[in-house]
Amino acid sequence: MTRWSFRHVCALLSVLFLLAACAEEAADPVATEPAGEETVATVDTEDGGTEATEATDTPDTATETGAATATETAGDADAEEGPIRMGAVLDITGPGANLGGPERDTLQLLTEQINAAGGVDGREVELDIRDNQSREDEAATQLTSLLQEEVDIILGASRTGPSLAMRPLAEQAEVPMISLAANQAIVDGSEWVFKTAQNDRVVIEKIVAYMETQGWETVGLARDASAFGEGVADLFRDVSGNADIVAVEERFATDATEFTAQMVSLRSAGADVNVIWGIPPAAATATQAYRDLGLDTPLMHSHGIGNQVFLEVAGPAAEGVVFPIGRLLVADELGDDDPQKEVITTFVADYQEAYGAPPSTFAGHAYDAFQLAVQAFGEVGTDPAAVRDYLETAELTGISGVFQMSPEDHSGLTSDALVIVEVAGGDWTLAADQPDGS
Amino acid sequence: MTAGVIDFLQLTVAGLSAGSAYGLVAVGFVTIHSVTGIINLAQGEFAMVAAFVAIALLAAGLPLPIAGLLAVLVVALGAAVVERVAIAPAAGSSVVAYIMLTLGVSITLKASVLLIEGPQSKALPAFTGGILSFGGVLVRPQDLWILAATLVAALGLYAFLERTVTGKAFRACAEQPTAARLVGVSPARMSTLSFVLAGTVGAVAGVVSSPVIQTDWNIGLFLGLKGFVAASLGGLASIPAAIAGGLLLGVVESLGAFYVSSGLRDAIAFFVLIVVLVARPGGVFGRTQAAARV
Repeated sequence: MTRWSFRHVCALLSVLFLLAACAEEAADPVATEPAGEETVATVDTEDGGTEATEATDTPDTATETGAATATETAGDADAEEGPIRMGAVLDITGPGANLGGPERDTLQLLTEQINAAGGVDGREVELDIRDNQSREDEAATQLTSLLQEEVDIILGASRTGPSLAMRPLAEQAEVPMISLAANQAIVDGSEWVFKTAQNDRVVIEKIVAYMETQGWETVGLARDASAFGEGVADLFRDVSGNADIVAVEERFATDATEFTAQMVSLRSAGADVNVIWGIPPAAATATQAYRDLGLDTPLMHSHGIGNQVFLEVAGPAAEGVVFPIGRLLVADELGDDDPQKEVITTFVADYQEAYGAPPSTFAGHAYDAFQLAVQAFGEVGTDPAAVRDYLETAELTGISGVFQMSPEDHSGLTSDALVIVEVAGGDWTLAADQPDGS
Repeated sequence: MTAGVIDFLQLTVAGLSAGSAYGLVAVGFVTIHSVTGIINLAQGEFAMVAAFVAIALLAAGLPLPIAGLLAVLVVALGAAVVERVAIAPAAGSSVVAYIMLTLGVSITLKASVLLIEGPQSKALPAFTGGILSFGGVLVRPQDLWILAATLVAALGLYAFLERTVTGKAFRACAEQPTAARLVGVSPARMSTLSFVLAGTVGAVAGVVSSPVIQTDWNIGLFLGLKGFVAASLGGLASIPAAIAGGLLLGVVESLGAFYVSSGLRDAIAFFVLIVVLVARPGGVFGRTQAAARV
């Protein structure tokens, strides 16, 4: 056997580690392109380098394919018969798994329910759920494949990054898409894309309003380095009108496990309140690090932690955490006059019966997206343009809030959709102080 | 102490804790590479599987120490099986073939855990609770457990290699394979042994670090990458250098995340790897010549 030099082995290894990183993807059969297409979106992992370019290649391909799909469907009278086909691209594995898992369960539950009740206008609902592995490129690949199968609507993705990767594909294919993620950039200026999670802007409005009630003036921010946390500091400055509100801004990877550097930095900055902007498990481990390093400054979170997993992972460290979120987590504390009370309690009971655990707020985002889609299909059928036009005026009393969509606002929720929730006794409770008197 | 000094020490402690796990995984790379010439891409998966076995045993009602030790044992034996089933039959293959084989093992382990345990992360409880303060530097007891486990594993390995006949045969096989064979040491047996040792240290890393890193099915890739960088710092040739490399990497990451930018945390390891491979391909602690095995 010839002896390889150390350098050769290492060069080879770097390529192989890249391969390992996208191993599942390579194993995933990528749908073949229709004949006559020049560009090829299939993943060529012979050389790790193509991985990076793939994400940018895909949109072009999808444009052509998707556009063809849309025109065909529109001109085809048969399209208004047969099953309604809903496609979902969710973060089922990877760092977003705690979001995508409950969302998948919810969509499956609702599909069973609606088909058991006779479908939409007598048409059965078919649901095709894809896992994007919490990756932007995989989200684009899966969406392209769904578009080729001519689905009537796209639900997802669970997080901002994959949703942003999907947006241009849906726009160019002219197929309605409802994202379940937070960042306002997903729907800013969009034609075909809607979303059900509360915009990060309204969340920050709520946080800033709460800070005012507590007399806190500066905030130390440790945020997710992915698209979910992008722009959060600017929003704080913008919403509060105070250019110096953010005392310090630190970042952590979505799959980070070690937070000492970020927390020491928050400790040194000495802001009035600290905000960890992330999703569990990272947000929970960060909370543990926060307590372990002896920080006693009040700690707020984003609406990204509305999941039982946060409480389980953070344990006692979660006590006293305050954050804005939809009413689902505190369903049992809602007054009878609350317009969302009935829809929330019904959903909680159904979900609990089906899966033996309470639903997370992410499950609620999936519920709202599904109901918006079904409402649209029930009113105007499956013609993509009609569905889109309907969604722009849709109203829905949902789980995440009372939606009022408009051509300008494809999110449809204001900060009224949020309440301030506090972790006390290992459970979610409605905080005593609620800004805006809500 | 001033606040700046406390911060520095705090970050160093965090770095040493993270670096211990890197170091143990790195030792696994070195033991296998030194005897067989194979880079074992499933090294991080040994740690991941051990943590999940321990979590499962704990859930089955075993006390934590026994669950942890059993998990290490299971993975050590599992590593031997991997060597017998996947590596040994390919004896005499090229380096590329071996790397492909270990990659296959890695994907198989990951996919199996994903199938059985699901995508959510899990963790062992901290071995002991509370928090210790040393002049303002706050230390989690688990950090001390991790450092202690690394020390015990390293000393145990040292004692085994220096003081036992089998250990000496192992070293002989790494240093002079032909001569070792002439005096009756079986390279095949030593190859199996190298996997057992690598499985053991990897499993120790996985079990002791689980309470602080939240184990999920994909964590092996992260540990494997960091461990590989740590092993490369030592030129992939020496066990003490691998541990030192791991500790160094952990501390550099932690300090870099604070003093440079927290967004760059994960880039630091790979930046270090590039610099080391270009400037000192034999490792920071090794010879500047292309590395000989051990």
